[in-house]
Amino acid sequence: MRCSNPFTQTRPAMKRLLFAPKFAIAIAVLVSTVGQPISAQESGAGNSGADTVLAFQNATVLPADGRVIDDGIVVVRNGKIVAVGPAVDLAIPDGATVVDCEGGTITPGLVDASTTIGVASSDLNEQGEEVTPHLRVLDVIDPESKIFTRARRQGVTTVQINPGNKNVIGGLGAVVKTVGDTLADMLVLDVSGLRMTMGDEPSQGNRAIRGGTPVGIFYRRPTTRMGVVWEARSAFFRAQKYMEQQTIPGEAQQTGFDPGLEVLAQVLRGEMQVRTTARQEQDIRTALRLAEEFGYRTLVEEATEAWRVADELLAAEATVLFSSPSIEQAREGAEIRWFTLKRLADREVPFVICSGADVGSRPLMQEAMFAVRFGLTRDQALQAITSRPAAVLGIADRVGSIRPGLDADLVVWTGDPFEPTSAVHSVYVEGQEVSR
Amino acid sequence: MTSRARTITRRSTGIRTHRLSAAPARPDRTPSTPMNCSIQSLLQRTLAPVVAAGLLSVALPTASAQDLVAVRGGTVHTMKDGVLENATILIENGRITAVGTEVEVPWNATVVDAEGKVVLPSYILAHCSGGMGGQNERMANVPFLTVTDALDPSSQFFEDSRRNGIGTIHVIPGNRTLVGGQGMIVRPYGKTVEDMAIATRTGLKLSLLSTGQSRLAQIRGMRNALRDAETAQAELERKRTEFEKEQAAGVIPEDKEFEEKLDERQEPVAKLLRGEMRGFLYVPSAAEVSEVEQMKADYQVLDLVLILGPQCYKAADRIAALGYPVILDDSALEYTETDPQTEDETLVCPPKFFADAGIDFAIGISESLSSSSRYPWWQMATMVRHGVSRDQALRSMTTRPAEILGLQDRIGSIAEGMTANIQVLTGDPLSATTWVDTLVLEGEVVYRRSDDRRLKILFGEDSDKNSSVDETEKGGE
Repeated sequence: MRCSNPFTQTRPAMKRLLFAPKFAIAIAVLVSTVGQPISAQESGAGNSGADTVLAFQNATVLPADGRVIDDGIVVVRNGKIVAVGPAVDLAIPDGATVVDCEGGTITPGLVDASTTIGVASSDLNEQGEEVTPHLRVLDVIDPESKIFTRARRQGVTTVQINPGNKNVIGGLGAVVKTVGDTLADMLVLDVSGLRMTMGDEPSQGNRAIRGGTPVGIFYRRPTTRMGVVWEARSAFFRAQKYMEQQTIPGEAQQTGFDPGLEVLAQVLRGEMQVRTTARQEQDIRTALRLAEEFGYRTLVEEATEAWRVADELLAAEATVLFSSPSIEQAREGAEIRWFTLKRLADREVPFVICSGADVGSRPLMQEAMFAVRFGLTRDQALQAITSRPAAVLGIADRVGSIRPGLDADLVVWTGDPFEPTSAVHSVYVEGQEVSR
Repeated sequence: MTSRARTITRRSTGIRTHRLSAAPARPDRTPSTPMNCSIQSLLQRTLAPVVAAGLLSVALPTASAQDLVAVRGGTVHTMKDGVLENATILIENGRITAVGTEVEVPWNATVVDAEGKVVLPSYILAHCSGGMGGQNERMANVPFLTVTDALDPSSQFFEDSRRNGIGTIHVIPGNRTLVGGQGMIVRPYGKTVEDMAIATRTGLKLSLLSTGQSRLAQIRGMRNALRDAETAQAELERKRTEFEKEQAAGVIPEDKEFEEKLDERQEPVAKLLRGEMRGFLYVPSAAEVSEVEQMKADYQVLDLVLILGPQCYKAADRIAALGYPVILDDSALEYTETDPQTEDETLVCPPKFFADAGIDFAIGISESLSSSSRYPWWQMATMVRHGVSRDQALRSMTTRPAEILGLQDRIGSIAEGMTANIQVLTGDPLSATTWVDTLVLEGEVVYRRSDDRRLKILFGEDSDKNSSVDETEKGGE
């Protein structure tokens, strides 16, 4: 499927952080410990010297990007998958700790490409300005949040966390694993995607008290869809101007460094992934138009009415981050169609299934189950919550499927995970059991 | 007082429906109004009233259009005599006349093909507030209200119910009013409330859920409501005794009758206290179970059904000891409990605790379009996922709610003599990919998936913008 786009390439964390030199020193310490993928040795069982080897057996293996293995074995060494195959072909290494899956099913740890979990609701939306591209959700993630426990108990091991949707340009997301004592332990990508929002959500709540004109510092613009789009457009105009000034010798010194415009400049240079929330058809079109106008590409989040614009999404090479297929009540009056994901699949529009904002109340596997109910194949649905989101986030070399070299993030289900009668048996992140 | 005037209007409507639905037909009377007309038609279709549980007057009309129907060749979960493979169900005049593998299909029968499919009794909701406008009256003590006056036959809830295989619904006020009013049993099919009615005034809703006040205040409110009716009843009895005494003494003429009645606003609670009306009591958590025990001790005649909230499971044994029938609220099947000290979360399945305590319960479904709890298959599968047996899960939506409503001799299972409320499913009733293919209510096919207009829209078989339109519009930009 079409998931390849230049934005999905993982970029070295250091380079991405350079736009904010004033934070650079403070962050350098962080980067040195967490910027690089956590190696298996560090995150393994904590023993130095001897390898920790696990062998999962007596299970059906759904590797997400390969064939189903009916009676399979997965071998994990020091937190990484080293081998996967049928029990008849694959020997369990000597000294391995055997995990009996009791005839259940193993899938990769699920990847939710759009959440707002682990962040206090009051911290999601900066109300001071409507364009805040330089804000980072990374700074407000609470590793102690119980919702991470809930997520991993539902088999979700990697999540993208975004700022909220009330700003036109909300800020930068991050990708974390759902287990770890500190943010550094959890972190996968410190910066992942710039969130933008079309539609009327950023313009809501901006009314003057008792009617009248919203003026003064207590009222934020915009108040209409037009205003929302203009805020985004004018920000990109400023970024274009800023980029021009940066190229003129001497000028750059004078204009100085603007962290917000620097992020937008990265977008315009194709160095930063953009994700635009758009629910109605007109908002999806607007999101694509704006991207075309300024020459960047965008993921489309929620995308309730994607069924109306499948061909345009395909033409724009936009990946759809589709939210909560199970719900029948759409926001902003968007019309729901149960065939949406099937249509996207049939027309080869790349898509991912997300739980929506609240991982806790809508388990991701349940959403995939509903997608199958509504016409997707099981493979498509499983990929849409594992390997595809991993590819979209640019971390397919670490998570999202069961193949040698990847993190041993595995979910053992008591039965077929697409049946509502199956439960999570156990969850492993980097070879460590995190929930039972 | 305006509120009083409104009250009386509501009451009179309710009584009219009640009286007519329970009264014997009077064929000599010409219908004078449209209202009477529709009720007359209901009565013409009505079987002899059935007294169920000694309380409910129940009338199940038969089919009019199709007299002979055969549901042929399915895997039939009878819910009474096990599962029959490749069995046929014969329906005459809305009733099942034969079930089995050897049943011959008459030439003139309308055939519902169930080959390779699964056949179940249609589901029953013994407690539900779907399909009515305004589920929770804000005034705390309103026993005189009845859902008959708030039911909306065009509600999407009833359409969804047919799509989900639900054939009988006990609609009753919500959980947020102290004494909330009276329920009615409907079939999710019909243009008017009269069409849909199976039984009216089927029970009084009571709730121990404190809303905006303390738990104790709610309990005090409940005690007061019961005691006020009790006092009024006692006062009436005292007056009657006095009247009879005076009559015996010759002060009052022999032919005069005692005419004083209880205030209409108190009569439903008084009936509850006399054991003539069933109470459907919502119990939000284990903390309120003591109060239920107290109520039982104070008023032994109380005929209660308990609607249990998510946090009741800790008192499962005490609830079992109470012996009242139990319905688990839709939110009470899977519940995340947070430890107040550590904030650690535990996922709890209350039905497992009740099943282990030997309680045979019925369950509810959600009305929210954003919750998967609105699907019977999801609700039942949720319990099975946590270790409740498949059989008990299926019973919780068929035979058990039928028993709780006192309709077990009519609905909830597939057997000779039962009302023909049957659903044909494409597969395992607990699977995510199973759909209801056909719903037969009282011998009449009221839902076919192939004719489901909404499903056609949701699955894109209507005229959506197709790809060529998209291309044209794109070219124009």
